[in-house]
Parts: sequence; C-alpha cells; structure tokens
Amino acid sequence: MPADRKSPGLRQRLIVALAVPLIIILGVSSVFDYRMARSMSDAASDQGLADAVFDLETHIRNHGLTSRLDLNEESEAMLRSNAPDAIYFSIRDAAGQVLAGDQDIPVFALPAGGKLSFFDASYHDTAMRAAVHRVSIEDTEISITVMETTRKRQRAQREILSGLLLPNLAVIIASLLTVLFGVRRGLLPLGAVEREIAARSPHDLREIDLASSPHEIHPMLRRLNQLFVQLREAAEAQNRFIADAAHQLRTPLAGLQTQIDLAVSEGSFSKNEGRLQSIEQGTAQIGRLLGQLLSYARAEASGSLPGKPERVALEQIVERSASTFFDAALAKDVDLGFDISPVVVTGLQWLLAEALANLIDNAIRYTPPGGCITVRCGKADGKAFLEVEDNGPGIPEAHRQDVFQRFYRIPGSPSNGCGLGLPIVREIAELHGTEVMLISAQPSGLRARLEFPLPAND
Amino acid sequence: MRILVVEDEPLVAQGLKQGLVQLGYAVDVAGSAEEAEGFVGVEEFDMALVDIGLPKADGLHFIRQLRAAGKGLPVLILTARDSMEDTVSGLDAGADDYLTKPYRLPEVAARIRALIRRSNAIADACLRHNGLCLDTRSRSAMLDGDALDLTNREWAILEQLLMASPAVVSKDRLVNSLAGWDKDITPNAVEVHVSRLRSKLAAGNVTIRTIRGIGYRVDAPEN
Repeated sequence: MPADRKSPGLRQRLIVALAVPLIIILGVSSVFDYRMARSMSDAASDQGLADAVFDLETHIRNHGLTSRLDLNEESEAMLRSNAPDAIYFSIRDAAGQVLAGDQDIPVFALPAGGKLSFFDASYHDTAMRAAVHRVSIEDTEISITVMETTRKRQRAQREILSGLLLPNLAVIIASLLTVLFGVRRGLLPLGAVEREIAARSPHDLREIDLASSPHEIHPMLRRLNQLFVQLREAAEAQNRFIADAAHQLRTPLAGLQTQIDLAVSEGSFSKNEGRLQSIEQGTAQIGRLLGQLLSYARAEASGSLPGKPERVALEQIVERSASTFFDAALAKDVDLGFDISPVVVTGLQWLLAEALANLIDNAIRYTPPGGCITVRCGKADGKAFLEVEDNGPGIPEAHRQDVFQRFYRIPGSPSNGCGLGLPIVREIAELHGTEVMLISAQPSGLRARLEFPLPAND
Repeated sequence: MRILVVEDEPLVAQGLKQGLVQLGYAVDVAGSAEEAEGFVGVEEFDMALVDIGLPKADGLHFIRQLRAAGKGLPVLILTARDSMEDTVSGLDAGADDYLTKPYRLPEVAARIRALIRRSNAIADACLRHNGLCLDTRSRSAMLDGDALDLTNREWAILEQLLMASPAVVSKDRLVNSLAGWDKDITPNAVEVHVSRLRSKLAAGNVTIRTIRGIGYRVDAPEN
C-alpha cells in the first residue's frame, strides 16, 4: 500500500521512540562509567606516588637533613623501581637548591599553604605525573618531588576502556534487540486483527470480537463494527426487498397459474394448443425465477451461515430430493437414479438441500429426453461428497467460470433456465467453506460435485 | 368432500375453488382468519387449505385456533413464503403439509388426496388408492372390488408405500419395516417381494415405480 511509504508505521515509530533515547542514555552512562573508573584508577596511582613521597620524607627524617642526602644504592633502587614506569625525584631546600635526586626536575609552584599536590608535567618530552610535598624537617623547609612516567596509567586507561566498551556495547545491542522483539511482540494482536479482517469474504460483515484484541484499538474497532453493522443492514434491507418483492409477486402468479391450469382442463385453448403451452412455460419460468431469487437472496444475505451449523446426513437430503424430482424426471423421460451411502457433514440442512435441488433441477432441465442422471453422496479420499452427474451436453470449458455469474446463460442453451441455479449453489458452497467443481462426464455431460471435510468426531 | 379455502386474494381463491369444484369437491372460501373461524364453527369440513399471509390474524393463528378447538381435519398450507422457519412454524402450528406458491392445480389435488387418504386411514382404518383398498383392521385387501391375497411381508410393504405416497420410500425403510417379520431380510429380498406385489397388482390401476438407487413409490393416479 502506498500509505505505508508516506507515513511511518506504528512499529517503526515505536522502535525509533524507544531505541534512540535508550542508546543516548546508555552512551552517556558509559561515558560516566569510564570517567568514574578512570578517576578511581588515577587516585590509586596518585596514592602510590604519594607513598613514594612519604617514604622519602621518612628516610630524610631518619637520616637527618644534611646538605647532601645519602641515599644508598639499595634504597634508591627501591625508590626508583616501579616498572614499567620510570621514577624521578628531587629534594630541594627553600632556596631551590637540589639536595638530592635528579637535578633537572622542573619546579612546581605549590599553592600557598599546600602540603601534598599533584601535577601533570612533561619531562624529557615524556608525559609525567608529579607529586610535590612541602615539609619542615629540623626547622628547614624542603620540598620533595616525585615524578613518574604515565605508562601504567595509560595501560589502566586502556584496560578500563576495553573493559567498559565490550559489556556496554553488548548491553546496547541487547537493549536494541529487546526493543525490536518487544515491539514486534506487542504489536502481534494488531497483526491478528489485520489477518482476521483480511481473511474475510466480502460478504462477511460480522462484527469483530473485541475480547480478543488489545483495548487500545477498541475505539477504532468499534467504529469499524458500526460500519459493518450499517453495511449489513443495508445488505439485509436489499435482500429483504428482493424477498418481499418475490413474495408479493408469487400470489398473483399463483392465481394466474391456477387460471391456466383451469383453462387446460376445460380445453379453453383447444384452437391453439401451442399458445397455451407458451403461456404455461412462461408462467412456470416466472415462478421458478421468483423461487430462485428468494433462495439467492437468502443464501447471499450474510457471509456466514444463517444459523448454527448442525450435523447433516447427506443421504437423507438426497433421499428426500428423490420424492421432489422424480415426477419432473418422469415427465421429461429422464432416468433419475441414485447411488448413495451414508455420510455426515457439518452445515445447514435446508441450504444443502437447496443446493442439491438446484443441481438436480439443472440436470433435468439440460438433459435431453432419454438421458440419465445419477445423484451420488458418500465418502471418498477422506472427504464427504455430493454430486449430480448427467449425460446431457455438459458445460464447455470456456463457460465454466461464467456460469457462476448471476443470470448468465450459455449462448444457444435452452431458454427455460434463469441463470441463478449455479450462483445459488456456489453461494451455499462458499457458506460451507467449499466450492462447486464442474467436471466433464464421459462420454458427455456434466458432473457437478461438492466436497466437504468430514466432521472431526466422525 | 367439503374443503375450506382460506385465502384473501380473490384471483387465487376463485381459481382454487373452480379447480377443486371440477374435481368434485364442495368448496367454501373464507377471505380472512376471522371469517374462516366462523365457517368451521357451523360447518364440518374434511380438509382446509390455508394461506399464511392473511389480513389481521394470520393463517398460523387460524390453524392453532382450529387445533385448540379439537378439530383434526387435515390442513394444507399454501404460502408465498418458503423459508425454513416459515414452513417449520406452519407444521408446528398443526398443519399437515405445505405447498409454495405458485403451485400447479394437479399438485394441489395430489396433496389433497394424500392428506385425505391418511386422515381416512386414521378414521376408518382403510388405505385407499385408485381402486386399491387396504383395511388395516381386518388386514384384508381389495383391488377393484376383488379380494387381493397378500402375504404379511407384501402387506407391510404396500402399507408403507400407500402411507407415504406420493413420496418415495427408501429400500432401507422397507427393510426396517419388515424386520419385525424377518430379522435377516436383505434389500434383495425386498426386491423379490415388490416384484411379486407388482404382478398381483397388474390387473388394477396401481403401479409401483422403482427409483434407481433409492427405493419405490406408489404412483399418483394421474401418472
């Protein structure tokens, strides 16, 4: 549908509305995590640097402040061993004179009254971290500076970064997947409603059951149901009108028919028997058309079975049809026979009887005198079937679809049909979830067949 | 035989009356349920033909009144409505049979004969058909005035066929009705009995037709 392209679907909206803020929140929280972890790791490293400063201070206090501080090799090695980082230190007096350590270490401006401070620095073109401590030993003010390269810190940063990045990425991906599946799952009931509507036949105007759909779309479905009701009422009104009109026509037609029958028995048309026959045929055809119109209106009235489906024994319907049609077949010198075995289907008895009546009526109508019609029902290939076979002219392949259209007549066919028989049968078949099969009979003729699923507990 | 026609449409009512008078029935026409109730209060009828769609009270109402008053005469509904609910409610109201408009006079006549035959069988225990008479009390049969000798099984088959006429009786139903005489009777045996019945009835005007694959039917007199 073009509408899909113009406006984003509900699913798309939901996914964007959920996923974008979620990614932002997760991203910001990752940055905070990283900064927090880094500051903790930096604090730990700074503490190590401070410890070195305090070690030096202790050493000075123990050995006394001399102009030249003696750090034996062992203690200096201990102080400097901090692989992989290199450590530099200096001890200066208040005048800036280096008392011990590395001569070229930069001097850092300690804040006034500050005791222990940390600085980022550069030394021999290498990034450094320095801790400067000002102490008073033997009434002399000295400052102790310890400086180390930042390799360990950088390694810690990298470890923190990679340690945070992977889990956070996983969390983001998992969240996105949750959003995708959650939205899809949440919208499943909508899809179910959509499928229910899509699967309907154009005649099916029953209301949608609200109980099985989410309440958020109930207002929309209620509107839809109102529309269904209105459409149904309109269709029912139309069918009622057809039925009423047909009923109204039937009574005067009955009067006319009776008068014709009287005229026949009185010999009133003895001068022109042919004319009487034409009148008789015309009247009979109107009567039949009215009957067909009525049953078509009834069968077409709603897209669903107009009643509660029941178990119907097809052989009983066929047996009753024998009484109804035997005289018509006799009158036309057509051999009407039956081949029936008991079988039960689910449906409406009167509708199925109506369908069968139309099939037999058609067969008698189109089978020439001397022909043969066989009505069959039974089970075959796990299905129930009902069929009427004749050895008349059959229906040419080219007309097999057209004959299901209302009032369609095959060109050149006898004029006493009204073109509603097969449409009625098809309506009834559709109401029972099946279709009418038209099969060529051998060597000639037509086999009209309906197949039904067998009831589950059969 | 006196028949009451309850029909408000004069064209239909007069046509029916003329047709039935030609067939030798005495016919009274009532144009409404109220008028018809007046008729049955003073006259005895053998049969009533009732249209459902009447002005004011409908035909179903009239039939219910009739049955409530204890009148058992056969009632044939003539209706323009042939939907299942209409016919079922007609039979529920106490009608015996129904015909849908437009009907043919010979069809109406056949239904009337069948209904009267069944009602007579209840009244005087005799099934009559075209010169054939089955007296169900004495179990004696007459064909055109001559005594007809029937075996028990032939009798049972003929009785079933006459009761059902003009409807078709399936072979299965005949087998069931004979099961009282003969537990293991087969459809083939039914065929043998029917063929013997046919030869016994050959002299008269009654024929038993075979409907291929279903069963038999005693033909209506016209055929």
